[in-house]
Amino acid sequence: MTKQIATFKVNGRTREAIVEPHMLLVDVLRDHLGLTGTKRACASGNCGACTVLADGIPICSCLTLAVRAQDRELTTVEGLVDSQGNLHPLQKAFITHCASQCGYCTAGMLMSASALLNADPRPTEEDVKRSISGNLCRCTGYVKIVEAILDAANEMTDAKEIPA
Amino acid sequence: MSDDLSYVGKRLIKPDIAAKVTGQARYTEDMVVPGMLEGRILSSPHAHARIVSIDTAEAAALDGVIAVVTHDDVPPNKFTRSTMAEALPDFAYEGERQDQYVLTDKARYVGDWIAAVAAEDIYTAENALDLIKVEYEELPAVFDPFDAMEKGAPGVHEDAPGNLAFEMDHPFNCGDVEKAFSEADEVVEFSGVNSRQKHLHLETDAAIAWWDENDRLNIISPSQGPHLAQKHLSKRIFTDIKDGDIRWISPAIGGGFGARLALGVEPIAVVLARRAKRPVRVTTTREEDFFGYSSRTDQHQTIRMGAMKDGTIVGIEQQIVSDAGAYLSHSATTSIVNMQKTLGLFRCDNVHGHIKVAYTNTPVTAGFRGYGNAEGAFVVQQTVDKLAEKLGIDPVEFRLRNIRKEGEQSFFIPCELEHTRLKECIEIASERFDWKTKWCGWGAAKTGRHRRGVGMSILNHASGAGGFLLEHSSAAMKVMPDGSANLIVSPCEMGQGILGALAQIAAEASGLRYEQMRVFTGDTDVTMFDIGSHASRSTLVIGNAVVAAAQKIKAQIQELSVPHFEERQVRAKPEDIEVQAGEVFLTSNPDMRFDVEEVAHAAVYNFGADGAQINATGSYLSTSHHPNHQAAFAEVEVDTETGAVSVVKYVVAHDIGRAINPQLVEGQMEGGAIQGLGFALTEDFVIDPDTGRVLSDSLLTYRLPTVMDVPEMENILVEDPSPAGPYGAKGVGEAGVVNPAAAIANAVYDAIGVRIASLPITPEKVLHALSSGGRHMPEGSSRVSGQYL
Repeated sequence: MTKQIATFKVNGRTREAIVEPHMLLVDVLRDHLGLTGTKRACASGNCGACTVLADGIPICSCLTLAVRAQDRELTTVEGLVDSQGNLHPLQKAFITHCASQCGYCTAGMLMSASALLNADPRPTEEDVKRSISGNLCRCTGYVKIVEAILDAANEMTDAKEIPA
Repeated sequence: MSDDLSYVGKRLIKPDIAAKVTGQARYTEDMVVPGMLEGRILSSPHAHARIVSIDTAEAAALDGVIAVVTHDDVPPNKFTRSTMAEALPDFAYEGERQDQYVLTDKARYVGDWIAAVAAEDIYTAENALDLIKVEYEELPAVFDPFDAMEKGAPGVHEDAPGNLAFEMDHPFNCGDVEKAFSEADEVVEFSGVNSRQKHLHLETDAAIAWWDENDRLNIISPSQGPHLAQKHLSKRIFTDIKDGDIRWISPAIGGGFGARLALGVEPIAVVLARRAKRPVRVTTTREEDFFGYSSRTDQHQTIRMGAMKDGTIVGIEQQIVSDAGAYLSHSATTSIVNMQKTLGLFRCDNVHGHIKVAYTNTPVTAGFRGYGNAEGAFVVQQTVDKLAEKLGIDPVEFRLRNIRKEGEQSFFIPCELEHTRLKECIEIASERFDWKTKWCGWGAAKTGRHRRGVGMSILNHASGAGGFLLEHSSAAMKVMPDGSANLIVSPCEMGQGILGALAQIAAEASGLRYEQMRVFTGDTDVTMFDIGSHASRSTLVIGNAVVAAAQKIKAQIQELSVPHFEERQVRAKPEDIEVQAGEVFLTSNPDMRFDVEEVAHAAVYNFGADGAQINATGSYLSTSHHPNHQAAFAEVEVDTETGAVSVVKYVVAHDIGRAINPQLVEGQMEGGAIQGLGFALTEDFVIDPDTGRVLSDSLLTYRLPTVMDVPEMENILVEDPSPAGPYGAKGVGEAGVVNPAAAIANAVYDAIGVRIASLPITPEKVLHALSSGGRHMPEGSSRVSGQYL
């Protein structure tokens, strides 16, 4: 197996890591780039905890070979805050609604939800549910997560519509 | 609730959530210790096999492999994964067997731990596992607890004749059930079994162990009770190490649900770290979690219940046969707690219970949120309905007639039931659910493809097991010169929000600000002894310890404030001074106030003889179970063509005493309900009856509820302060998972007229029940866990 220096565009920065062809994106993000906010919970694409955005589209980083992710703009939970360090409206809403209990699914939930809100700023409750239907949560019963995402969507559209 | 409290009862943001939504929270697998090796475990492919030989030479020779260990390298001491041993008095614990080694001497289930490797990286460790050559001699195996107890069955453990792991009569047996049944107007019997629900904490098991520069053993792992784990590890396994020689750190935990009350891979990490003389992180995969050592215990139960025509229950009997799997762990204690809750729910003078726990060549079963209560509720709540039907009484009315009242004996004998609002829970929830309209009476005929039905279930549960477990907790507090404070306590934050609840209690009782309360937990070097978070105990037991410490802090602030009022030309005695939300003021003149920082700062920066930081400790010993209660109502729709059951509505009321933080309480109820929904309908742990191999070994084959499965839910908090709890609070962590399966099963019966006797209630079982009219049900027996129709 040949080692190679791979270049990744993660959260707006260019990062390098020595990888082997078999390595998964989730492992490179966590173990090589120190981005441990992304979780590996099933490593088989069934739970959604490892969800990151690749060119804005949610993918399971546990099903993606790291070398194949080199030419894509990657966003992890660490990249949700803006350049000033302000929390994303989804993060704020998850806090006020207490939509995170143990927190292990939270990064994946946030990434799936952020992809939805980027594509559709006015989602219905059904849209929200579908967007996170591939993200398993064992703690919350999902109620507060759905509320938080809907709340964040409102917050973001209001912010756009009411000029400062 | 309306009152003049500053923080208690309010929906405040829990302190650990910001780190969780930014990805900054640190879980065990996120930690890296310099020089750390990666550890992996080799498990058995056979359900029952003698290990003829193990050749590790090739694995050890692989570049990057630092240590390979087998049974010969582990301490010759047997232990059990359950750490409860260290929270029970010896007389209560003697029944629980110490029955396994860190790495086994014989394969007793598919997945049993045979050998382990530590290597420079995870890929090398994985490759090394493939190079370990094990020669097995396969032995006949047994996969069913009833078969296991038959004469001539293969023996799982040489020293357990008849594969009997544990047997006991209910300690609170009373009266004469046979006589009661002979005199009763109606007697019914119902048998059923729950499935081996997996905890499915999203964070798979992991541990890091190393000896530090002071030759102390450091362990990082997601333990729900690190002080107990520390004692257990040193007393039972590594007997050359004293508990004080271990520093156990329990960081953010990715879900517990009772699984982390048992030791996981920690002992293997210790063995490897000792051998390699390097830090070792042992990790497991999701597949290994399914094959491994932790699930709800499948408890096969037969319950008989008799009542008089007026609806008075006169006798209850429960026979339990539990399947321990290959090692005992929590399966005995969780069965005992089932009996305690099930047989104690109703007022009854004639009670009899009996448990047998059998070894089989299947994965180890353990304790799961509810600890026996959900297992019992599924069977007893159907028995209750069966009896109510025979008597022609509305199930709501029947339960109301028989529940225990305040002043009567508690289910935890010999204590008196000092507080219950179960009656109110039943009444409020049934009204919100609109039971009177929705329930059409016993035997109401439902027709058509889609049939709706309604059902209910009630429960009592503990808020800590005072008088049974070592139920004392201690808290320490210190006030910083800026008026902020450290609260040092030892619950485990596995998502339930206990750090927030305890901080609210601490701020309320001390008069300091919630926003300035820093909670420190999860380090046995810093926190005081505590049995951890389980048994819905933390809010009540640790909360009372926090109150004790915080009140002392307040008294010190009052005392120290006297000269600060004098500086303002006001003479005040400590008892005239109030401290609230970070401000000190005169009760008689609230305008005369200043920030607590002034006092806190002066206490430290005092060069006189009385200089000392404001600090206090507090302890609390709980001597009773302080029951919390819940009533739940479910409406289901059964598709009689596909057999699919969907829950349309779920209404639940919880007797919380007082909600320290209603948002956190709702979170527990919602999460518990959906976990219970999975237990009821989809979560099917399937073991191959021929090989003993787990077939449901991924999240594709073992289905957790998704957001699409969440029904319309209503969670009602019935608040009326209990005398025992901090600000009247009782527990809530476990209750939510108990009722759903029982209420849904009763609703399915209401819809289709057939009772389902095993969990989960899958479409296959419903179709089978519909086609056979329920006549196929073998009462009180089953084949392999939960699979029989």
